Amino acid sequence: MPPQVFRLILLTVAIVGSYVIARQLLTPPSFRQYGFYRGEALAEHASHTPVFAGRKACLECHEDIQKKLFKDAHKTIGCETCHGPSSAHCADPDSAAKKPDKKNTTACLRCHEANPSRPVTQKQINVKNHYSSQKCAECHMPHQPNEVP
Amino acid sequence: MALDVTNVVVEALPRFEGYVYPNESGTHPLWGFLIVLYPYITGLVAGAFIMASLVRVFRVKPLEPVYRLSLLTALAFMLCATLPLLFHLGHPERSFQIMITPHLTSPMAIFGFVYAWYLMAVLLLELWFDYREDFVVWSQKTSGIPGIIYRAFTLGVTDISEKAIALDLKLGWIISIVGIPSAFLLHGYVGFIFGSIKANPWWGNVLMPIIFILSAMVSGIALCVFNYMFLTWVRRRKLDMRCLDVMGMYLFYALVIDFTVEALDWIHRVYSAEEGFHVIEYMAKEKLFYTLSIGQVLVGTLIPLVLLGSLQIIRKYVSDAARKRIYFTCASCILVGVFAMRWNVVMGGQFFSKSLRGVMSYKLEFAGAEGWLMGLVLLSLPFIILTVMIKLFLSERLPTTGHVPHRVDDAVSEI
Ligand code: HEC
Ligand code: HEC
Ligand code: HEC
Ligand code: HEC
Repeated sequence: MPPQVFRLILLTVAIVGSYVIARQLLTPPSFRQYGFYRGEALAEHASHTPVFAGRKACLECHEDIQKKLFKDAHKTIGCETCHGPSSAHCADPDSAAKKPDKKNTTACLRCHEANPSRPVTQKQINVKNHYSSQKCAECHMPHQPNEVP
Repeated sequence: MALDVTNVVVEALPRFEGYVYPNESGTHPLWGFLIVLYPYITGLVAGAFIMASLVRVFRVKPLEPVYRLSLLTALAFMLCATLPLLFHLGHPERSFQIMITPHLTSPMAIFGFVYAWYLMAVLLLELWFDYREDFVVWSQKTSGIPGIIYRAFTLGVTDISEKAIALDLKLGWIISIVGIPSAFLLHGYVGFIFGSIKANPWWGNVLMPIIFILSAMVSGIALCVFNYMFLTWVRRRKLDMRCLDVMGMYLFYALVIDFTVEALDWIHRVYSAEEGFHVIEYMAKEKLFYTLSIGQVLVGTLIPLVLLGSLQIIRKYVSDAARKRIYFTCASCILVGVFAMRWNVVMGGQFFSKSLRGVMSYKLEFAGAEGWLMGLVLLSLPFIILTVMIKLFLSERLPTTGHVPHRVDDAVSEI
């Protein structure tokens, strides 16, 4: 066999060999346990602490707001839709750093900015023409959108 | 204060026109600038390789001066071809798992195989057989780190008898022949990824792999012209005008075929005017006007087509200096135009709603993982690698053995 071909075959064997060894060593142990992914990944995801607390969690301390909210157009909307994930706040309500977002105008626009593909019952505005220099909460009560402040 | 807050909000609003589903009106498409770079870079690899095969397989003698340069260009860009994808995916700490747990049926994952085949079995092998004799000679003459590198690259084979060299040539030629379909496969694969998405009228198209291959050839040859001219300019050498003219000729032919097939694609779209045609029309006329009509068609195709085409006829009457300028302009225009084409394909397919009745927009950012600064860094990396390679393997101080890659017949008959 010509020497260069022999060396190339040796090199190929070495590369394939080290790949096989690397596969043995580096493949995550729980890979293919259930499917084409790490089985451990399921447990890892389950172990994360949820960032959303859910509506019931707020009831304990903010029952008044809940009551207001339920009477009005926004009754189907969860508190954290507008205030953002708040489970850290529930656990430690006095901490200023963990306070939920209060003046979240983007939240309003996520549902109210004009888009013809939305249901007609969901009232639409064109924010650029709708008093865009002021904040929504100056003229609308977020928890009671039917009322006038 | 209140004013600030609302204005910021208006700025951050997703922008769209027409009927766009709420979940589509996000601020960013899923595939950004880096995914535009990916087909661009792989295309340059495939094109530069085909340019080199013109010498080795099709025996175009005048192109000999750029044979090695184009192979090294292909290698330098090949080494960076996966980077845009890996940067887009994030999680560098587990990127190796792509290699360790290859998936056999996912079209996306097949790139790993196509890439490995092309790099290991084609490019590196062809380069090695071509350079083997030089490595042996250089390793005996050179000391220091370059000497060690050359010695390592000989893989310990020091036989440079005539018979061994003849075998090198023959094997290199076989690999080159295998390499041409492989280069088509490499870039046809990228076209397939887009062309097979049948739910998207901008992408789903059987011509897509072919268009990708042809535009890859165009961009690859243009890159070789660019690199060759730039390198001779840096080295203050005289350009081989014959070589440049022939490159220009092939560039012209490739461009004509590319232009014809892309035009055919458009004629087909316009005539058949399928379901999604209105949105496609709107995209071409409004959304992608600058990148499609100006970038891809005018700068990337028509201007070089006219310039190169007229040179084919009146070459004799144009002075060397003027031809040089024209070739350089055309190469740069084509490089820009093909980039615009990749942008149009990748971004264009994400700019309209699944309803086919509305369009979204995208503002390219400066910083960030998908910003254009990142893209610029990734695009200059292959040039840096190429510079190092040229210093090592195309150095003027190291005389080459001067065997000619296309004289394989003699070699074959000798064995
Ligand atoms: C354990 C009691 C408790 C729970 C549970 C609780 N909060 Fe609070 N929350 C408070 C207290 C106390 C304050 C007043 C803090 C202050 O003014 O410093 C507050 C203030 C707020 C504020 C106003 C922040 C500001 O900037 O003034 C918002 C908004 C809020 N809570 C939302 C929520 C939401 C949403 C939930 C449910 C996910 C929730 N809270 C659950 C006790 C609670
Ligand atoms: C439609 C969006 C929206 C929903 C749903 C919503 N909030 Fe609010 N909330 C706001 C906005 C906006 C403000 C700030 C009002 C302001 O700046 O005057 C606010 C203010 C508050 C405050 C500060 C005190 C106050 O009354 O101004 C608390 C506490 C609060 N919300 C709790 C809740 C709780 C608890 C719920 C769920 C029962 C809830 N919010 C649901 C938008 C919302
Ligand atoms: C999760 C989506 C959602 C968000 C976020 C939201 N809204 Fe609404 N809003 C609705 C829906 C749905 C209705 C209509 C309910 C109905 O009438 O059935 C509505 C109704 C309204 C109305 C009209 C009430 C009427 O007169 O009928 C106003 C005003 C309003 N919202 C203001 C706001 C403001 C201000 C915010 C931000 C603090 C906000 N909304 C955030 C979903 C949302
Ligand atoms: C200057 C006061 C003012 C501000 C600020 C304001 N609105 Fe209004 N909004 C009104 C008035 C008045 C109406 C009812 C008359 C109308 O339709 O214009 C209204 C109506 C609406 C409606 C119902 C539209 C309909 O078709 O019935 C929605 C939804 C709404 N506003 C959302 C918002 C949101 C979201 C913001 C913040 C971006 C906002 N508004 C800011 C005064 C205001």
